[in-house]
Amino acid sequence: MRAFEDRDGVAVAELDEQERMVVARIVADVGLMLSGETFGMGDTPPLDTLQGADAILGYLRGLEEFLAEPGDPAVLRLLPNAAPTDREVSDEFRRLTEGDLRQLKVDRLRVMWQQLSEDGPEWEVTAEDALATASALTDVRLVLASRLSLETDEDAERLHTEIELATHALATDEDRELDVDHERVWLGMLYQALTWLQDSLVEFLMAADGEDSHE
Amino acid sequence: MSFEEQYESEGAVATRPDDPWVAIVWNDPVNLMSYVVYVFQKHFGFARHEAEAHMREVHELGKSVVASGGREQMEIHVQAMHGYGLWATLQRSGE
Repeated sequence: MRAFEDRDGVAVAELDEQERMVVARIVADVGLMLSGETFGMGDTPPLDTLQGADAILGYLRGLEEFLAEPGDPAVLRLLPNAAPTDREVSDEFRRLTEGDLRQLKVDRLRVMWQQLSEDGPEWEVTAEDALATASALTDVRLVLASRLSLETDEDAERLHTEIELATHALATDEDRELDVDHERVWLGMLYQALTWLQDSLVEFLMAADGEDSHE
Repeated sequence: MSFEEQYESEGAVATRPDDPWVAIVWNDPVNLMSYVVYVFQKHFGFARHEAEAHMREVHELGKSVVASGGREQMEIHVQAMHGYGLWATLQRSGE
């Protein structure tokens, strides 16, 4: 995986086939959760036809089950209460804005899914789409964070330590002793990879704006 | 910038100056500091240092008041922040 970099005004990252498949799949999962819409049904090979994808399929299934729960806390992270202490204000806000917000988020996720469904290892994001894609990445990360129960900055730091320990344990074959939660570690690593990609995309945006202001 | 246009179209909405509202952005462990600064600059038209000051308030104090005014204006800001994936709320000023 390579982070986004500026190639002639276009943000380009590189993901191998499996990485692109995983990211496209979770993007589609979040889209489905928000809208009930299935992106590109039939266009992509099912996860289990790809070699070595069995374990990944299992991890993503766990996430998909979580997203299908009624009263999904992840939905509340994407469409939060606008006035937690004032029910009337909160309800009215939701009534007026929720449809538009869902649509905005689903449209962005669909564009991102399409970018990831192009052939080749490059993930190309035009300058025009860069902010929308960075925002879609936030939504996907919010959903993963909800699944990983990241509620405070300390939780996020702890996850980082947890993954380092687990990676070390797996490398030295001590994971049985350490009682590693493989699904959690895998989703945590996916969260970190998306964070890293988003960070590079925001860097691209800021550099592009900097150039504009010097013109 | 989208907000400017929305703001213009909302300009006719009567807001009571004696009953101002505020829009607040809250800390969360997910949003990147750089992204929050960028969104503040884009949406509110803040200068870089101003956007960074609000971001630091969010990160270090847990929240920052990013705008004040009529309820409808604050709803537009909060909706935009939710669009960007930031956790924002509105409330009557002084509550």
